[in-house]
Amino acid sequence: MFAARDGTCRPERERSTVTIRWKQAGHGQARIASANLGLYLVRFERATAPPAPANPRFLPMIPRREFVRIGALAAASAATGCALRGIPKGRTGVNLWFSYGGTNREVLEALVRRFNEQQSRDYVLAVYQGDYFEGLAKLRTALAARCAPALSHVVGEVVPYLADAGVLEPLADYPGVRELDLVPELGQAGSWIGGGEHALVALPFNRSTPIAYLNADLFAQAGLGAPRTWRELRDAARALTRSNNRYGFGCPINWWFWVALVGQAGGSVVAPDGRVSLGDRAGVEALSFWQELVQSGVMKPPPGRDYNAWEQCNQDFLAQRVAMIWSSTAFLKYLEAHAPFRVLAAPLPANRRRAVPTGGTFWVVLRSAPSQEKAAAVRFLRFMHEPAQVIEWSNRTGYIPVTTGAVRALRARGYYAQHPNDAVALEQLSVAEPWPWSVELFRLQREIVQPRLESVVVEGRDPARALAEARALALEPT
Amino acid sequence: MKPSRRADPYWLLLPTFLFLFVFFLFPLGVLVRESFFAWDLLTPPRYVGFGNYRALWRSGELLHTFLTTLSISTAVVLGSMAAGLGLALLLDRPGRFPAFVRAAVFSAYVISWVSVALLFLWLLDADAGALSGIWRTLSGARAPNWLGSPQLAPWAIAGVTIWKITGYALVLFLAGLQDIPSSILEAAELDGASPRARFLGITWPLLRPTALFVTTTSFIASFQLFDVVRVMTQGGPVRSTTVFVYAIYEQLFLDLRVGRASAEAVVFFGLLLLLTCAQFLLFRGEEAA
Repeated sequence: MFAARDGTCRPERERSTVTIRWKQAGHGQARIASANLGLYLVRFERATAPPAPANPRFLPMIPRREFVRIGALAAASAATGCALRGIPKGRTGVNLWFSYGGTNREVLEALVRRFNEQQSRDYVLAVYQGDYFEGLAKLRTALAARCAPALSHVVGEVVPYLADAGVLEPLADYPGVRELDLVPELGQAGSWIGGGEHALVALPFNRSTPIAYLNADLFAQAGLGAPRTWRELRDAARALTRSNNRYGFGCPINWWFWVALVGQAGGSVVAPDGRVSLGDRAGVEALSFWQELVQSGVMKPPPGRDYNAWEQCNQDFLAQRVAMIWSSTAFLKYLEAHAPFRVLAAPLPANRRRAVPTGGTFWVVLRSAPSQEKAAAVRFLRFMHEPAQVIEWSNRTGYIPVTTGAVRALRARGYYAQHPNDAVALEQLSVAEPWPWSVELFRLQREIVQPRLESVVVEGRDPARALAEARALALEPT
Repeated sequence: MKPSRRADPYWLLLPTFLFLFVFFLFPLGVLVRESFFAWDLLTPPRYVGFGNYRALWRSGELLHTFLTTLSISTAVVLGSMAAGLGLALLLDRPGRFPAFVRAAVFSAYVISWVSVALLFLWLLDADAGALSGIWRTLSGARAPNWLGSPQLAPWAIAGVTIWKITGYALVLFLAGLQDIPSSILEAAELDGASPRARFLGITWPLLRPTALFVTTTSFIASFQLFDVVRVMTQGGPVRSTTVFVYAIYEQLFLDLRVGRASAEAVVFFGLLLLLTCAQFLLFRGEEAA
């Protein structure tokens, strides 16, 4: 009776397994289910609770809360398409939730298709879930509803938090994972301070650094080269601004670019001793630089938040409303393809030193998935790390190739000599700074720093005061 | 009428009660309970007492959200009332053209919020939008950044909402106007009352119950504003358009703070309850008068 009822949330072919587990669970839960007006979701929850003995956070909780949790999230899981449909018979289905739009989405879908055609054992079902933040919200909600996909990709800032919550599958012991020849700065070990000391839970896929995009025609007309320092950036922005229709510089008011500025001003967001310093003086300097550029009318404050602001910034650049922007290397191919002018990519300028954060996302396998799905997910990841796929992904999108084999092959082929714009982000890896492995990093980004960046740049608040407030908030218990 | 058995009415009420319990009262209880916990959906909940409420109050978020919502709502209510009443007075006449305009204005009320938001996102674009184009042509300068400036964005949101719900006010006011017996107006006209005097002395007093109804319903509707904000500004810039429902959404689905979102929802529920009580009292007062 119950096995048929849980079909909303699990794949059809798993139902028998679910029933067996249910019988093992005993009668106690049956009473709970019937006491709660027969809401079958409770039953589902009991049947597929993850074993995860290593993590005490998943020890049984009170049933009522479980019921509440599941009830509250039923809508979310239904909406995000928990069930796997359209998996060919006899193949292991892997639900992959992704957050790329535009070209990136097309390329990923093409690669997934290739994987599905090349072999007949596994089948990856790629489902678009909105931008990074939306996708992440859905993923976390689905995790709570025990309805998460086997495979997804998340921004680096959130990996320590998810790892700490015990929802990510350690990958090192899967066959072939240790042997992956990852570019050191882009893998888990090099992307976080001490990232190699934690269990391997994240594999790089679309990895980027911020770079500068210049309207080469406008720069040539003005006789300017790519700015190498903050001062040169300010001067170039001023020289290229036209009072009624063009700004010299544009950049999303976003944490990522602020972190780049903080590094360039000689600071770091989290001090070496683990204190959330927000760059101290460097943080203030970084914000003041933006504020001054906006207030002097040479930088366009982009409207919108999150990735709306990025898109707006790209559009401004393409429409020549802005002569130079900072954005992710991810948009290289898109901007090159759509600009009615020559696009020149350049490294970010230095202030006290050169520095960029890395960005983009990491593949994560969700621990809650059935083990055969997890194994299939890892097989897919290995396929994605083969040179052919890494190269195709990188060349068609602008993301940095994540394996040394792929980089070597591209170099040998003379690709970077032909496409110097593609080499910019790769070259910048020499000054890339790893993130702190901090559970708080994501909260710091989203809740504490991001809103204050906006208030300083858009409303003209005092940067020192805004950051002091942010530091104080960061110390508060959550 | 007396029930043959005392329990009968309760049996008959049971289905409704069950429905209300499962979908309203029980979730409400859960909500209140959750507001005393800190929970991120992934790690076990921690009891924090009134910590969530305190944090919301201390960070100024509650007050800020309330004031933002209140100012947008006030603008929406006043705007849609004035526009609805004005249009109703203009369009309360026979003929094809007024009928067409009535239908046109009401059609905005029927289409989806998301479509409206996308349409206005495009119209209000600081560079490529039609409104900005007109502004540039007329003034020769850069158009204001309607959605990018914290000073303008709340009013832009209010404006879009007014545009959307005016049709509703219009229909109600038209019904109210058509309820007023023409004999009274004709009598006043014969007695030499000016149009203004007729409006102030007859039409408006007789429209008051309608006006009250429009006010409270549009006030509540504007308190529940979400779609437009989600699509057009995501609560920004600098939280200037973070209205109540959006703030709850943000806490819950973006920051994954279930407890804080619940606390905010409880406060919001309390406010709406007060508003509804006020409406009841006002209506009773109207009826008694």
